[in-house]
Amino acid sequence: MTSAVLTRPGRSAATELVRRLPEYLMIWVPLLLSAAHLVSFSLWTLWISFTPSTLVPVSGWVGLRNYTAVAASRNWQIAFDNLLLFGSAFVLLSAATGLILAILLDQRIRAENVLRSIFLYPLAVSFVVTGTVWSWLLNPGLGIQKLVHDLGWTSFKFDWLIDRDMAIWTIVIAAIWQSSGFAMALFLAGLRSVDADIIKAAQIDGAGAVRIYRRIILPSLWPITITVVVIQLQFAISTFDLVRALTNGGPGIATQLPALVVYDLMFQRSLLGRGAAAAVLMLLILLAVLLPYAAWRYIQRRRANHA
Amino acid sequence: MPITTTRRRLLAGSAAALALPAFARAQGAVKPRLTAISQWSAGSDGAAITALGKKFEEKGGVWQHSPVPGFTTEMMNKLRAQIMAGDPPACSQLKGPEIAAWSKIAPTVDLDAVVAAAGYEKVVAPDLARLHKPAGKWIALPLQIYSTNMLFLSKRAMDKAKADKVPVTWADFNDLAEKMKAAGVAYPVANGGTRPDDGQKFEAALAGISPLAYRAAIMNLDKKALDGPEIKAAFAQVRKIADWMDPNVGAQHFSTNLKRFVDGDMGMMIMGGWAQGVLRNAGFKFEDFMIAPGPSDNSKPVFLLNADAFIFWQRKEPDLQAGQTLMAQLVMDPAIQTMYSQITGSIPVRTDVDLSGEGWSDGQRRTAAALKDAIASNQAVLSLAHNMAQENGMTAAMIDVITEYVKNKTIKPEQAATRLAEAVEGAR
Repeated sequence: MTSAVLTRPGRSAATELVRRLPEYLMIWVPLLLSAAHLVSFSLWTLWISFTPSTLVPVSGWVGLRNYTAVAASRNWQIAFDNLLLFGSAFVLLSAATGLILAILLDQRIRAENVLRSIFLYPLAVSFVVTGTVWSWLLNPGLGIQKLVHDLGWTSFKFDWLIDRDMAIWTIVIAAIWQSSGFAMALFLAGLRSVDADIIKAAQIDGAGAVRIYRRIILPSLWPITITVVVIQLQFAISTFDLVRALTNGGPGIATQLPALVVYDLMFQRSLLGRGAAAAVLMLLILLAVLLPYAAWRYIQRRRANHA
Repeated sequence: MPITTTRRRLLAGSAAALALPAFARAQGAVKPRLTAISQWSAGSDGAAITALGKKFEEKGGVWQHSPVPGFTTEMMNKLRAQIMAGDPPACSQLKGPEIAAWSKIAPTVDLDAVVAAAGYEKVVAPDLARLHKPAGKWIALPLQIYSTNMLFLSKRAMDKAKADKVPVTWADFNDLAEKMKAAGVAYPVANGGTRPDDGQKFEAALAGISPLAYRAAIMNLDKKALDGPEIKAAFAQVRKIADWMDPNVGAQHFSTNLKRFVDGDMGMMIMGGWAQGVLRNAGFKFEDFMIAPGPSDNSKPVFLLNADAFIFWQRKEPDLQAGQTLMAQLVMDPAIQTMYSQITGSIPVRTDVDLSGEGWSDGQRRTAAALKDAIASNQAVLSLAHNMAQENGMTAAMIDVITEYVKNKTIKPEQAATRLAEAVEGAR
């Protein structure tokens, strides 16, 4: 490229543009389209959330009335509490499971490829399938509890699916099953990228395996951990199909999550304005996770550049 | 006053007289065409609407039905999109108070002339008719009726309890349930765990205790009635029912447990008339179960109405208008209603259809008889759980309270009644 510019300085700009046109088209057109799509519909939703829309969108201004109505509703309060519990439990546990799996896989074992595929496989299954299968497994009358009873241990009890206080944990279990493989894959990549020389140096200095992990390998996984947490968190916030198939918000309304409330308001209750308000609240929760992450990335990059 | 009435009648009459030949001419000049959307794509529902389409074609029409499979809400999303695009279907599935709500967002067809010509109004339950003429004019037509509070009894569970009498009142029901429990029926009440399932338990309880209170509290949202003793009594009855149900069903559909019901592990099921079709489709025989109207404390049948309907959207195209007239005539036709209900297991909207002939089951006959009796004693009311009594927003708010109550045994009936009244206020 440099040589071309050097040899034919006169026609550089135009030819350069023509030559690179396919690249520009390939990158910018989809990017602009999806950005326009995302931004325009987000703005549209924001606008609807301030209107008295019910069955169809209408113009008008009701201020924050939709927001106060949503925030005051029992459904949203339960959904929000559930999100805090589900989000933190799911993110921490799936990251921990993924990390343990990754460390175990990293021990130069045989059949690593096969095992890795097995652990990653749930990711290829849709959430509706995961939810449905787990709804059978966790059903006390059909699944694990019945199996154990049939084996002879009749006092065994595992009925979280129908227990209002524990039902949210069944969603945590199914979600971990589904996505800890993903965390494992990221962590595994991280483990493999740790400089072998440092580990060797530590070994020569007489550090044991536990110490090497604790002092060298795990600290170097920090950026990957942040990535895993952020990705899982945004999944947790937008969880919909998994809950819908697993508990459908039940027993009663004990496992409501924000996305279910949005769907319910918009399409079951035909309250578009309130549904939009709930959707905007969800977006705000998401931003509360993503903005600090973006800021952190920015600071990291600046620090790296300065160094 | 008398003068206006006569004038209105005169106007309606002449409009009908004018309209009829116009319809006839339109049908003669153009080939009637109908664009329709519904959620009925598979099973007996799909078969029934396909059969209706065949009849439409036999009459020389062009049938363009686009089913939107899945939940009713998905069909509604398509309808919403089409209406907003200014291209509504000539006719679409819609039911209950949603007909009134949706008729405000797009112009509908005035069907008064066709309905009058068919003499339809006098053979339709009054509450039902009102839903289909929200502003005084017929804009939609009911297609078939189900009762949501039929009582299904497992023959084997009855044998176990050595009982042969069908319970009539809630006290009878409770006695029989206790008997079944004592005789080793694991769960005297068969159930699913979905929201409408829980809602049906409550509406059956309240309407059975007092149809008047049901009408006032649930259909008219009367504050005093919502605070009345009947609501608390209904919640107390629901608690009894819930204690007899299998808690393990989670969020499952009622049909999951049909085998246990037929086997006699579960005794009684309060379910819509459609369960008969589901039982039959699952391969069970009529000898396996009995069907009776749901418990009613004054011994006269209470009928909780659930009716599917078509609403007709205004179109300019002459062929679509001719198609709408033809469709309206077909939907009101007793022969078509017979064909439709025999496929789906429902009962006809018309109360003058004779169900003694072949092709009807005992359950359907009993349901139709119950409807007739219930209309006569003013005990035919609209189902809450199946979106007939209130618009979706209000229904959902009320069902929230009911479903939580069914699943949470620490809530007292009084508490539930208060919460129900609060939910109604919140959703008003």
